[in-house]
Amino acid sequence: MASFERFDDMYDSRLKSKILRNLLSDNVPNEKQPLTNFLSLSKVVSTISTHKLLSESIDQKLQAKSKSAVDDWVERLLALISSDMPDKCWVGICLMGVTCQECSSDRFFSSYSVWFNSLLSLIKNPGSSRIVRVASCTSISDLLTRLSRFSNTKKDAVSHAAKVILPIIKLLDEESSEALWEGILHLLSTIVILFPAAVHSNYDKVEAAIASKIFSAKTSPNMLKKFAHFLALLPKANKGDASSWSLMMQKLLISINVHLNNFFQGLEEETIGKKAIQRLAPPGKDSPLPLGGQNGGLDDAAWNSEQLIVSRVSALMLCSSTMLTSSHKSKLNIPVRSLLSLVERVLAVNGSLPRSMSPFMTGIQQELVCAELPTLHSSALELLVATIKSIRSQLLPYAASVVSLISSYFRKCLLPELRIKLYSITKTLLKSMGVGMAMQLAQEVVRNASLDLDPTIVEESDAVSSKTLSLTKGALLQACSKKRKHSNNSVVEAENSAFEVGVPHNHSSSPISLKIAALEALETLLTIGGALGSDSWRERVDNLLMTTATNACEGRWANAETYHCLPNKSTTDLVEFQLAALRAFLASLVSPSRVRPAFLAEGLELFRTGKCQEEMKIAGFCAHALMSLEVVIHPRALPLDGLPSISSQFPESNSLASQRHNTPNLNKLNDIAHNGDDLCNRWQADVDVLPSNPEIQRTIDTTLHLQETKRMKLGNDLATVVSLSVQNHSDMVASENVQRADVPEKVTESTEESLGHGSDKDVMVSKEEEDLAVKDSLMEEATIGKKRESLGESDDDSIPSLKADDYLSSDSGIES
Amino acid sequence: MEISVIASSSIDGGIGSWDLKTGKEQLRFKTCASPAHGLTAVGEKFIAASQLRNASASSGSIFFWSWNKPQVEVRSFPVESIKALAANTEGTYIVGGGTSGDIYLWEVATGKLLKKWHGHYRSVTCLVFSGDDSLLVSGSQDGSVRVWSLIRLFDDFQRQQGNTLYEHNFNEHTMSVTDIVIDYGGCNAMIVSASEDRTCKVWSLSKGKLLRNIIFPSAINALSLDPGGFVFYAGSRDSKIYIGAINATSDYGTQVLGSVSEESKAVTSLAYCADGNLLISGSEDGNICVWDPKSRRPVRTFGHGKGPVNNIQVVRKTIVANSNKTQSSWKRHGSLLPPPLEKYERSGEESMDGIVIVDPPPSADVSVYSSFLSADLINEQVKELQQQGSAATEIEMERLKLEYKKSLQMNDQWQKNYENLLEVVMEEQNGVSN
Repeated sequence: MASFERFDDMYDSRLKSKILRNLLSDNVPNEKQPLTNFLSLSKVVSTISTHKLLSESIDQKLQAKSKSAVDDWVERLLALISSDMPDKCWVGICLMGVTCQECSSDRFFSSYSVWFNSLLSLIKNPGSSRIVRVASCTSISDLLTRLSRFSNTKKDAVSHAAKVILPIIKLLDEESSEALWEGILHLLSTIVILFPAAVHSNYDKVEAAIASKIFSAKTSPNMLKKFAHFLALLPKANKGDASSWSLMMQKLLISINVHLNNFFQGLEEETIGKKAIQRLAPPGKDSPLPLGGQNGGLDDAAWNSEQLIVSRVSALMLCSSTMLTSSHKSKLNIPVRSLLSLVERVLAVNGSLPRSMSPFMTGIQQELVCAELPTLHSSALELLVATIKSIRSQLLPYAASVVSLISSYFRKCLLPELRIKLYSITKTLLKSMGVGMAMQLAQEVVRNASLDLDPTIVEESDAVSSKTLSLTKGALLQACSKKRKHSNNSVVEAENSAFEVGVPHNHSSSPISLKIAALEALETLLTIGGALGSDSWRERVDNLLMTTATNACEGRWANAETYHCLPNKSTTDLVEFQLAALRAFLASLVSPSRVRPAFLAEGLELFRTGKCQEEMKIAGFCAHALMSLEVVIHPRALPLDGLPSISSQFPESNSLASQRHNTPNLNKLNDIAHNGDDLCNRWQADVDVLPSNPEIQRTIDTTLHLQETKRMKLGNDLATVVSLSVQNHSDMVASENVQRADVPEKVTESTEESLGHGSDKDVMVSKEEEDLAVKDSLMEEATIGKKRESLGESDDDSIPSLKADDYLSSDSGIES
Repeated sequence: MEISVIASSSIDGGIGSWDLKTGKEQLRFKTCASPAHGLTAVGEKFIAASQLRNASASSGSIFFWSWNKPQVEVRSFPVESIKALAANTEGTYIVGGGTSGDIYLWEVATGKLLKKWHGHYRSVTCLVFSGDDSLLVSGSQDGSVRVWSLIRLFDDFQRQQGNTLYEHNFNEHTMSVTDIVIDYGGCNAMIVSASEDRTCKVWSLSKGKLLRNIIFPSAINALSLDPGGFVFYAGSRDSKIYIGAINATSDYGTQVLGSVSEESKAVTSLAYCADGNLLISGSEDGNICVWDPKSRRPVRTFGHGKGPVNNIQVVRKTIVANSNKTQSSWKRHGSLLPPPLEKYERSGEESMDGIVIVDPPPSADVSVYSSFLSADLINEQVKELQQQGSAATEIEMERLKLEYKKSLQMNDQWQKNYENLLEVVMEEQNGVSN
């Protein structure tokens, strides 16, 4: 019968019900058959989603068949769910979750309530096993997710979601399995995000349950993070407005500060802690309940464990950071002052004892505190990043104090992990505050990045090439003798062990991730404020980045294959490092500076070699770099004529123009002007928007009406006047347009005469004389390159409009 | 996206607004007579304009209008008459320049006067934010142009050290500065300033000095930049709009884009609309003209009124698709407009209560997305079940084996003991029976 049926191709919709039935009979267990192969279950899921097996056909003919197949499927699942065997029950629940996602909307809408209740009963049933409960949580979450896409059942959906909360909170308290906690958290987050109203009535209970988990000593660090994330979501469920957000933030900050008061006892003045609490909960006003209700775990035995306090504080800080950075729908009142002073407070404690305090602390205590401080500092820095990200440009009134905090901490900080965070803070600051921030931070970034990228201790094998050595010598900031010695030793080492290349041998050398962070910070600095450092740090940075990029790439590209045999973290690290180095190098070449980029030649060479590399990321970036550098080599000034036509946008404009102005020749001009390539045109034509040559100006002068010239001379105290502003010269105005094609007879008669017959040298000399008066050039770096080519002389950058010279000389050359 | 042009005048003609694309006149906001550069759109939120008042008034005044109401909604009265007004792109800060040369910086959300400093010796005529809003460029009646880093203004430490507050001070103009524009060059931006001394000057931000001096036949009232950074437009008192080249080698202007009126009424303001590349001019005769800079032809005119137009601004507004939603959100937030700007800087500890009000991102109404997890969970759990032979179970197995061995040994031991005992008992029994 059906087995002899043929199908059109793999898209034939008759296939669907067929495959589904096969799956059902072969791979899904039933009441009698036990589950034998777990792997087949994955196969079932992937087949269902690939072929969309559960979507029922709308085709009249096939409808019945596909409907009955899915009916059977659902029936089997419900039977499995009610089975006593945990493994069968588990299979049923999991597949039910998939069904919620895949089935047709009609089917889902008609039967979600039944499915929901059967799943919920499993959660409530105290006899259910762990794996069954985890699966039920996930399946209910998927069911609710699907339900949220139906707009007409909002009320019903909320009441369904509300039913889940109490049972799972109870489970959270009773059970101690992490997998189950995870499932519960996922379900809770789904409800908070999709149906916040469902949590309203039980908000306090949920908060208390989560807080107690965060304060519990038994929670693993991984789970702590997940609980903290969920706690950050929770304010959305409590009215969802700014005040509930602020309340949660206030509770968190108070809790953090209370913990710190305990932890920092003997390490800081006690008044600091008191002040912090006072700012958060002013004495006159009602202070909020502590986090997690009345007995928010603030007075338990854990007070004595430094490790526990720090992991709690870190979790709470993570929660605040998440709250700051996650999206929100209403205005937020962010307590910037409290957040910043909290960060400042944590960073100020470095484990040393103030003199007055020393008798109150034992060595062991200090040891325990110091062991935990790096974690605490790291969390505080995260919090700082989150604060900056959340308020961006509105950091303005506080920016100066943040800068001084960062700079002073940068100087003291030695741990690579923390330094990476500091770099990321600097990047965020630069990106969100712009040029003004670059002015403030430049020195600090350059100083630190130079230390971390110190090429003497980069990678030992690079010391082999004498070229590198000679290059680095110039760039060295301070190379201590110890480092030197090491790099000499490594010459031998590197020859013997090619595989050790790129692996830092001693801890004095900074790890690759730190170098990447430093490079990124420099890149950002150059992007935002590259032109600001021309007088001071720019040269040093350019040099450093060139050295780093060449070192990172030299010799290594040849080895790429060797590395590919070992697909592990270190090779991807290496690629990342090369990329970061190349990026930063490109930034240093493209970022505006007063002179021609010193390492342009090296850069072009490097990127050209890089373009041919096997590693696609690097090859791709090098291609992009070459494109960016093309603009540096061939600078363009964009004329107006390239603008798209707007006649479609303003159809009436023609009539308007003709009404107001009788400029028939303008239309003609426009037609001619459209011949595409600006750059090419300008190479061919003698162009500038304005007449740029005194010779030309003089000749044009004579063509002006004497009266007009006189008037202008009187008015402006001019020696020579080029004013094309006279109305009856409008045709001449047009002729000065940038295009070659329309150089009309009127003007060119005179100008070209003077050009063609006068000697080229004269023109150029007089030009230079005039331009010397104008010291600075707008196009200097761009034109210097060309200048060298065309003139063969290269004194300084005092010739601003050399481009015009080039055009002139080449032009007149052709003409003569 | 809706692009509007707003314009105001020095005599009370209100603020006119037009849709640039369709040319339709929109709402006219009432009661506004503002000085040049005294009109600004604050982000997308509302319009603010400083007001010209009679000299006898002791304080200045700044009015706010929300986009959908013609009446003034918020009135603020700063200590002195404010000439120039500007807001940053996000609309979080407003700066105002007073007749005394003082510059004021207000936080929009709270109305707090965050900073007030003495900027110039005479009245401030225009204020411009740099592209990234971190720098402020101010021009004054005394001819000076100054560049301020806003971050540094808040650096009390540097302030105490007596360093100069400004980053650059350009003094080359001999008469009042009328307009300033800054291009897209970031840290290497060009600043162009126009003055009544009939020149425009081009300054380099990074070098802090004069690059070009371009002389015009008449005093320039207004400036606007071509985004290509190649030319700028200068609206002059002789009713012409000139095109100046930023990197021209000649000291003199220049070409004419067009003339706004036959009766040589001065061009008073210019604006550039990047969307469609249009130049918009306002003139003394009360007309606003939209130009196509490529063809140098006017494409549209708006009539503002009889009074001279002295401010034009192009405003982009994101149209929220669902208007019901925005209205309900307005209701939720209560009044849409922020409180009035405060008169004095607060001093001491309570100067800042440390709260920053952050607006939600405009796209916050996008429906939340939550993903399905069942399929992933199945794979995960299957993997877990597959790993039955994993390390943990193997260790457990070994332990059990060991225990089994031990109990076997124990069993043997007991067996032996039992046998021994049995033997003893048997022997005794035998002895008894014997």
